[in-house]
Amino acid sequence: MNENKTEIAEVAQTILETLLDLMGVPASVNQEHGALVESEVEVPSTITLNVEGDDPGILIGRRGQTLSCLQYLVRIIIGHQEKVWVPIVIDVEGYKQRRCNALQSLAWRIAEQVTQRKEPFALEPMPAFDRRIIHLTLVGHLDVTTESSGEGEARRVVVIPKGLPSD
Amino acid sequence: MSEAEEQEKPETMDEPEEQEKPETMDEPEEQAEPQTMSEPVIQGADMKELIEYIAKSIVDAPDDVKVDEETDEEGLTTLKLQVADEDKGRVIGKQGRIAEAMRALLRVKAAKASVRVRLEIV
Repeated sequence: MNENKTEIAEVAQTILETLLDLMGVPASVNQEHGALVESEVEVPSTITLNVEGDDPGILIGRRGQTLSCLQYLVRIIIGHQEKVWVPIVIDVEGYKQRRCNALQSLAWRIAEQVTQRKEPFALEPMPAFDRRIIHLTLVGHLDVTTESSGEGEARRVVVIPKGLPSD
Repeated sequence: MSEAEEQEKPETMDEPEEQEKPETMDEPEEQAEPQTMSEPVIQGADMKELIEYIAKSIVDAPDDVKVDEETDEEGLTTLKLQVADEDKGRVIGKQGRIAEAMRALLRVKAAKASVRVRLEIV
């Protein structure tokens, strides 16, 4: 973590606190450093701002939509002010961390199943953030690889056994 | 000293200058109509501030950011966001993503305050 990044984390925290205050949502913000995902490849470390408050549900929104809007706006504001793009992650009460852990377990389970049955398995369609977690989790796996197929809302991860002749 | 602080809400509104607060937290100057005091009056300015802050933070000409607000007889508040022509794309975003994100945050605020608000970019 270099100094510049620490500085940006501070700026991001202030922006987020201002937004929450203006939204009338009393909450506190804590910084967490490090990657959300466990992976064989090096994942660039991110700054996570974790929000804690009385009403986490209203900030997360349906399927995490409000949370991703909040994150998007904080990134846009920082991008505009600091002229750099930093992958700030905003989480509410560890919602994303829990989701991430659940997706990792899912990925490992599916990988095992695909290894045994020796046939590809397509997961449910997922948003980009979720698909990325699956890819990153299985990137160093000995017996399977992953790819995405489908477009837009229907895009999903397919787990494929290694050594399967591709068509 | 809590008793002294309690007296900051004078029952009669005719002598408001009597107490000098060091910092006015919630500028009471616009409270012209004597509403019933039981429910806090939701100031439209509150809704405005959120959008104003976001817009000013993402445009090149923050001084040209203007938010007008109208409330109709059914209690629906409309915020009209105005920015410099060159900045219009910035507050709308690709495929309207920034405008949508602003609306999402506004919805949270409106839900908290039990009011209905919509945002227009003019």
